[in-house]
Amino acid sequence: MTAPVTPAAPAAPAAPAGPADPTPSAPRWLGQRLRRNMSAWALFGLMVIVAVVMLYPFWYIVDNAFRSPGQFDRQSGHSLSGWSELFANLPVGSQLVNSMLVCAAAIVIILVVSTTAGFAFAKLRYRGSGTIFLLVVAALMVPLQSIIIPEYVNLAKFGLTNSYTGAVLVYAALGTPFATFLMATYYRGISDELIEAAVIDGLGYERTFLLIAIPLSLPAIATVTVLQFIQIWDDLLVGLLFLPTSQRTITAGLATLSAGRTTSIPALMAGSLISAIPAIVVYLIFQRHLIKGLTLGMGK
Amino acid sequence: MSLTEPGPAQAAGAGTARRRRDRIRPAAGSSRLTRRRRRAGILLSLPAVALVLALLGAPIGQAVYYSMTLWNGVTATWIGPSAYTATFKDPIFWRVLENNALLLIAVPFAIGIPLAIAALLNEHVRGWRFFRSVYFLPTAISWVVIGMFALRFFSATGVLNQLLAKVGLGASATDMLAGEHSALAALAITFIWSMLGTNTIIFLTGMATLDPTLIEAAKVDGLSRRQIFFRVTLPLLTRFIQFAFVITVISAFSALFSLIFVMTGGGPGFGTTTLEFFVYQTGFQQVQFGTGALYGIILFVIMAVVGLVQLRLIKPGDEG
Repeated sequence: MTAPVTPAAPAAPAAPAGPADPTPSAPRWLGQRLRRNMSAWALFGLMVIVAVVMLYPFWYIVDNAFRSPGQFDRQSGHSLSGWSELFANLPVGSQLVNSMLVCAAAIVIILVVSTTAGFAFAKLRYRGSGTIFLLVVAALMVPLQSIIIPEYVNLAKFGLTNSYTGAVLVYAALGTPFATFLMATYYRGISDELIEAAVIDGLGYERTFLLIAIPLSLPAIATVTVLQFIQIWDDLLVGLLFLPTSQRTITAGLATLSAGRTTSIPALMAGSLISAIPAIVVYLIFQRHLIKGLTLGMGK
Repeated sequence: MSLTEPGPAQAAGAGTARRRRDRIRPAAGSSRLTRRRRRAGILLSLPAVALVLALLGAPIGQAVYYSMTLWNGVTATWIGPSAYTATFKDPIFWRVLENNALLLIAVPFAIGIPLAIAALLNEHVRGWRFFRSVYFLPTAISWVVIGMFALRFFSATGVLNQLLAKVGLGASATDMLAGEHSALAALAITFIWSMLGTNTIIFLTGMATLDPTLIEAAKVDGLSRRQIFFRVTLPLLTRFIQFAFVITVISAFSALFSLIFVMTGGGPGFGTTTLEFFVYQTGFQQVQFGTGALYGIILFVIMAVVGLVQLRLIKPGDEG
């Protein structure tokens, strides 16, 4: 079993074949080329239509973020009044910082526990490790809503809902099962002999992990990081319930502002835009890792 | 990237390791190593196990206990399993469950449309990589933001009604979010849109794993492109379709909170209250921790059934 799934690579040979038409007509080469061209254009047109459907919401948000309420009603003219209203009603700067801090802290915990555990489950098996691995991965199926009330009671009991700590822990726990699965899958792709050789050379298992396994698994670590960043950045439920109002994330802040139903639409669109930008930037840069993480979930 | 690929390093390491192992054979040494390996394994897997157990495992047990109490956040009274029979007699509970069932109608669309889009991209027409990126973009966006747009799309003065008016269907303009069933439909449509990118990528990955010679053979046999898709491609994609199905159902039942929170708040009435949102309403808005936990447990049971299918599909521990 090779370690990462390479999504599009095997498709390459199929490409040149293209939309060939199997029914030959009289002037064979001419008809085929014409039809191939026409169907290529039809496909291209269809893809453009789908692209418009997928992109229109973003255009709508950008367009209306730069309007005053009056301009929004008329749907003409642009101004920055939505932005000043947004900044007056929502501590955008500090909420962006809150989002960053919560994301960073949770991702660090997820990376530490998932690389160590993934390595242990893949390379340092002990009696029952297979079953324990299955249990950890099965936790993936626990919907947060099913445990949210005891979770809240527990964290509140230890005073963890008065700071970032509670939310960070919950995000870390929610991300750990899939991250562990992903890391274990990756480490299985590294040969046992390589690890044993390092250990016999006197590195010990802990240092073999740090000096050999971690550097080899950087692509998987990148995948986990990107996947978790987007998931935590975009989450509402945990941010809403487990963070004190002053330490809310931007996504939770925006949702509560919207639920208040007193803020104008341009201000909400401005908030949507600014809260989406970090996730979009990460997506555009690390798209490959995101896709890899998703498809790795399918197993091989 | 190529440096960190396990391939070459693995090959080089394998050779030296085999030679070493032949030399170091004494039983005492290897059993000492085994012991050390076991200890390292337990030590390294402990943090993840502890985190998952404390924050995901234990609360399930607690939730089961809470579900049999009446608890307003201050005083808790044990009422036992009768809490469940009371819930099963509650018409509102069934109304909420009906919404979950109705949401399942969206699932075939959330799978069929991406299948078509993936087939389109898989023709590899010029620019398909760019379009793939565009279609996958919503995956990066919070459902809070998506809901923020959807609210304006479906509202009485929203984009949808303006579009209808433009094509001369102004008479059929409605405020979809004002009616119970139409609001759920609006929610479902937004959900389908949000799933398009994810499911398209799943199917595209699946299509990339297909053996191109099979398609070629079908072409030589004179099958039309549609026949090839339905008779060759689709049956070979079964595993990927199952995976997308599970992901979609899980999302529909346990990931729509943000969308509901922003778009409808569960209303009008209980029109868009699904079980997951009902947990939030009951537990945190009405502060009935016991009943809220009970709804959570029912959600858990439903998801566990879906999860068993999932576990069979991904088969995590190859050999344990």
